[in-house]
Amino acid sequence: MNKLVSIKNNDNIIMASKIYENNAPEKVYFENTLNFKINDYIYKNMDLGNNFASISGKVTNIFSYNNKSFMEITNDYQENMQNRLYKKKCHNKEELINLLSKYKLDNIVKKIKSIDNIKNIVISSIDEEIYTIKEFIRLENNYMEILETLDYLNKIILNKKSFLAVKNTNFNSIKNVKSIIGTYPKIKIILTPDKYLISYKPFLCNYLNLVKEETLLLSTNELYSIYNILNGKNNLEVLITLSGNATYKSIVINAKLGVLLKELMTEYLEFSENYYEVYKNGYFKGTLIKDIDNFYITNDIHFIEFRKIENKLVSPCINCGACIKICPFNINVKKCFQKNYASKKCIKCGLCNFICPSNIDLKSIVGSYDNEKENNN
Amino acid sequence: MIMKKKTITDLVLENIVLLIPLIIYGIYKNGYLIYEKELINIFSIFKPLYLLLISIGVKIVFDLIKYKKIKIDYNLLYVILLSMIMPYNISYIIYIITFIITYFLLDILDKYLTIHKVCFMYLIIILVNFLINDFTYLNPLEEEYLYSFSFIDYLFGRNIGGLSSTSIIFSLASYLFLINSYYYKKDIPLFINISYLILSIIYYLISKDNSLIINSEMIFASIFISPLPMYSPTRKVMEIIYGILIGILTFIISVTFNRVLAIYLSTFIVSLIYLLGSRHSLTKK
Repeated sequence: MNKLVSIKNNDNIIMASKIYENNAPEKVYFENTLNFKINDYIYKNMDLGNNFASISGKVTNIFSYNNKSFMEITNDYQENMQNRLYKKKCHNKEELINLLSKYKLDNIVKKIKSIDNIKNIVISSIDEEIYTIKEFIRLENNYMEILETLDYLNKIILNKKSFLAVKNTNFNSIKNVKSIIGTYPKIKIILTPDKYLISYKPFLCNYLNLVKEETLLLSTNELYSIYNILNGKNNLEVLITLSGNATYKSIVINAKLGVLLKELMTEYLEFSENYYEVYKNGYFKGTLIKDIDNFYITNDIHFIEFRKIENKLVSPCINCGACIKICPFNINVKKCFQKNYASKKCIKCGLCNFICPSNIDLKSIVGSYDNEKENNN
Repeated sequence: MIMKKKTITDLVLENIVLLIPLIIYGIYKNGYLIYEKELINIFSIFKPLYLLLISIGVKIVFDLIKYKKIKIDYNLLYVILLSMIMPYNISYIIYIITFIITYFLLDILDKYLTIHKVCFMYLIIILVNFLINDFTYLNPLEEEYLYSFSFIDYLFGRNIGGLSSTSIIFSLASYLFLINSYYYKKDIPLFINISYLILSIIYYLISKDNSLIINSEMIFASIFISPLPMYSPTRKVMEIIYGILIGILTFIISVTFNRVLAIYLSTFIVSLIYLLGSRHSLTKK
């Protein structure tokens, strides 16, 4: 915990206070895993293999990109559905896992399955990146639903006290939650300091004095997805933040899956800079988007950062050791970089890249170890 | 702690700003006070400034030849520091010629071997000055008069040493500022001074010689020169060991040879051991 730092963000950016709805995109794009053909009719909620269709309409184009087949669905604005969804009830953990698996909430299922004996449930409304606000804005806008679902989850999985972690700077959320928390005696609200990476499970559990291996940590948006499923709604939208120091203000959009980023940018954003770089899931932890025109929203995207292009002069390492000092996992970043090997411990938080006065891209080497690939193997 | 990114330029400029009060005090001590006693002419008041401008000038010319533009990098800080630690009696000719030769030589050598630039250049210039000119750190005033200074006088900088490196107060004030920087290796000066102070107090208790206890040159160099990032360790434990070794070696050289030169010689030796030990720092990618 002592190693965590606060990062100064750009105070000129106006942070979003409401969620914009992007209900009617003209076109959406999905990976064509089930080999649909042009003119096939796609119903809303239809299973497309990896996702559910977020709109109804005809397939108007099929194309290949990076050795994968994709399809373009043109919206007929009818919202036609084959099957209607109804409210559901689960009585235990297994039933919940089966239900969530059916609706492709694989991340949540993986989290629940990975813990044999869940002793604590923590819901985090803390956003990972400094310009992201999607978790706390979800809590601010849907605190009733969040508390209700947490209480429900607590009842079927745990039947003990569960925690709701809120950053101590999110005054509105704290005020809202505190006004009704008395109705849920098994939920405890925890205020956390405004530090980068505090939402990361090991640090949050450490802060709350909980055992990491026994704690189920979900974000407010993940909990809201569970709420939707239990209440007969599919998760066809994703909450994403569009922000960064190249924009005047942050926008949080409830965007339909498969919508083009370019469409969202022209509709909602105003840029303060003419030249900027776009990062998927943020500058610190994410990756640079090279082809913005063909970039569409998938459910693993939560943040698009527009960063003004700075005059980044890369110079040789000056051996200042700041990268080693700032690393929350005490990785000898400099040594890893110079010997060209990746670290298993690296979570690609990007702090070393941020702190480096020589502007060296340390993360590209140190964080190149593919933990997910190893887990899958 | 709220983090804000800094570039190399920011770090160099931050150090240079902190050095300005020391340079001004250097001009007062090694210029105005001597002029007041009519030992030098009015133009010689600014000797610390002349050496500073010569050093920066050589660096700029070198940059223009090599890179076709002026760079604000650590070399700028090195040359400024070098001009500040020179003894008063340094001859301009010796300084310019030795400075240019060693600066160019180190630039060529830098591709193959990293050594502490400031200490190396300082030791070479002092050696050449000693062989051709004289070996003394006294300025004309200190040669002419015998003073009995109070502790406060020493604290403000009436010590024998480099042109602009004798003010303990300004050095310590700079240290207090630098310890707030995330990039500064604050343990190095701390442990150099602690180990040196312990040894000099023990020495005083044994020999009743207290002249080693206040060493302004060591305080200045331990704050600005020994922790220069390129030549010092990056891990906390190594920084502490590095600091203690320099402190001990400085004390030994102070007792046996010269107390002004001691910190530069010991920093050069210990940094060389560190650089040779950590092979990855030895050659640049």
